[in-house]
Amino acid sequence: MSITVIDGKRFAEMVFYGANHLSKNAKYVDSLNVFPVPDGDTGTNMNLSIQSGAREVREHIQPHIGKVGASLAKGLLMGARGNSGVILSQLFRGFSKSIEDKETIGTIDFAEALKYGVETAYKAVMRPVEGTILTVAKDAANKAEEVASQTNDMTVLMEEVVKEAKASLKRTPDLLPVLKEVGVVDSGGQGLVFVYEGFLAQLNGAQLEGIDAPEVSMEQLVKQEHHKSVQTFLDTEDIEFGYCTEFMVKLQPEKLKSNPFDENQFRNDISRFGDSLLVISDDEIVKVHIHSEQPGEVLTFGQKYGELINLKIENMRQQHTSILEQEKTTPVQAVPNKKEEEYGLVTVAMGSGIRDLFQSIGAHVVIEGGQTMNPSTEDIVNAIEQCPAKKVFVFPNNKNIILAAEQARDVSKQEVIVIPTKNVPQGVAAMLAFNPNVEVEQNKTTMIEAMAQVKSGQITYAVRDTKIDGLTIEKDDFMGIQDGEIVVSDKNIAVASKKLLEKMIDEDSEIVTILKGEDASDELVEQIVQFIEDNYPDVEVEVHDGKQPLYHFIFSVE
Amino acid sequence: MSIELKTKYGQIEISNDTIAQICGGATVDSYGVVGMASKNQIKDGISEILRKENYSRGVIVRKEEDQIHIDLYIIVGYGTKISEVAHNVQQKVQYDLEQIIGLKPDSINIFVQGVRVTTP
Repeated sequence: MSITVIDGKRFAEMVFYGANHLSKNAKYVDSLNVFPVPDGDTGTNMNLSIQSGAREVREHIQPHIGKVGASLAKGLLMGARGNSGVILSQLFRGFSKSIEDKETIGTIDFAEALKYGVETAYKAVMRPVEGTILTVAKDAANKAEEVASQTNDMTVLMEEVVKEAKASLKRTPDLLPVLKEVGVVDSGGQGLVFVYEGFLAQLNGAQLEGIDAPEVSMEQLVKQEHHKSVQTFLDTEDIEFGYCTEFMVKLQPEKLKSNPFDENQFRNDISRFGDSLLVISDDEIVKVHIHSEQPGEVLTFGQKYGELINLKIENMRQQHTSILEQEKTTPVQAVPNKKEEEYGLVTVAMGSGIRDLFQSIGAHVVIEGGQTMNPSTEDIVNAIEQCPAKKVFVFPNNKNIILAAEQARDVSKQEVIVIPTKNVPQGVAAMLAFNPNVEVEQNKTTMIEAMAQVKSGQITYAVRDTKIDGLTIEKDDFMGIQDGEIVVSDKNIAVASKKLLEKMIDEDSEIVTILKGEDASDELVEQIVQFIEDNYPDVEVEVHDGKQPLYHFIFSVE
Repeated sequence: MSIELKTKYGQIEISNDTIAQICGGATVDSYGVVGMASKNQIKDGISEILRKENYSRGVIVRKEEDQIHIDLYIIVGYGTKISEVAHNVQQKVQYDLEQIIGLKPDSINIFVQGVRVTTP
């Protein structure tokens, strides 16, 4: 069956395929990058640009192709990064302009739009350099025009466009001497070919290798970097940089005044601390992953630009030794088959202990996140897609994430049910109430009921002086928060904890669960357990090592 | 004023004009830039895009206490992301200067003097 007409919905799908395919191959595109400046970031830049375009499209999917095109152009412009990213945004700006009034388009319109995109892109430059993405786009558009007059089959047209784009890409070294010298094809051109290949794959329903892969995340990049390290470091003693350090810098304008932030400069500067370096940034946050021998200095460096959040430092020598030992003792286990289940459970947690806790009670996917680092809608959608299930329950465990989870529900293909849990204890309670043998509605009701029965409290410290809910709080005081409201504050953490527990526990209470944060000491835990046992002899106490940051304790009382 | 590089054989002097030409060349090679503009558009009465011979009007090389600053006056194409285009120019200029004359400027400032709107 041939496709002769494309509407907004199909075009949106084409964009997603193109974006995904480029994303999957971004690293390869990076490796080709020698022109105009050999800094190896073309793939990353193009990927970030088109992902921004795709995101905008995803939020405004509709049948009118002109409007979808406009969303794409807007998203691309907003997210344009690097030379090739800007060119890409221009190509599709022209493309979209050409189809803006059209409800649907056919081969002739499509070819015309490609052509118009190329014209727009060429206009924005004084001296177009041939042998780049511009040339590839131009050749492909010319071919499209030629073919469009002979066929009305979009698939045939796109096939020819891809073929010509590839041929043109092969010719780029003949046009641009620097490419020939290094022996590569143009990176931007290659990026565009990947986008077109994605378009084609959508049209003929073909499976491109890895087309379903989600957008390259920091995690994946980190994994690749780690993998590289594993290959090179065979002996524990050979590990030159012993600490795997990951953190985010939340850029602060006042600090940027004296230290303007520039991603490349930052990458250069920080590279002297170690290897396996990854730096990803947007306007607000810089994510850094580095293997270093002096993690402290790396952090100090990062701090020059803003506040550090979500830090993680691991001793790789120790890890390596324990991996070696494990490999000696445990035989390799077969990967269990991912079989489709009826229900999937997705939850959000902060801290490895809480993650383990959730996994132990049946969560399929645990998204890292919580206060100060809310996962995006996209993170949640990705997590949902990882669940091999038709129906997925999502537990946001944070007031601020509920909305994102609801958005994820709207865009996800699977049936998604959001249980609006506002904190970890509620999430745990709701998840424990889950029964795989009953219908969705019934599950939902019992889970929400269970969630409402839990009283939750948290102990954290104040970051500044404030007055709230009739309490005067000084910086570094410990605050007890009960169900979102600050109820106690004290200089002493033990006192604050006890006061909070006094408010939470009443005669109907049966179980108190304590999630110990990464900043809380064992003695303190013992002291609190003792306090509960002395004062409330009927109550059972359970302690878990939640390892959550920021919150010294999370209490739940049932 | 010129840039002096000392080698063991003697001195290399590179005139400001040369640097301006290199910067200008690198700038117009960048995507999104439709041309160099004059620093003093009103005074010079040149509102048009500068020709190759006049790049130095749009490229100012300043030397302050051993630090080299470069100011570039450019016109960009309508509909491009100006911050990104400017950033690309900075990178390209820095790279070219380093490659060609081994000069590391301390700052490269971009002044966007205009946008060229092309109506189709």
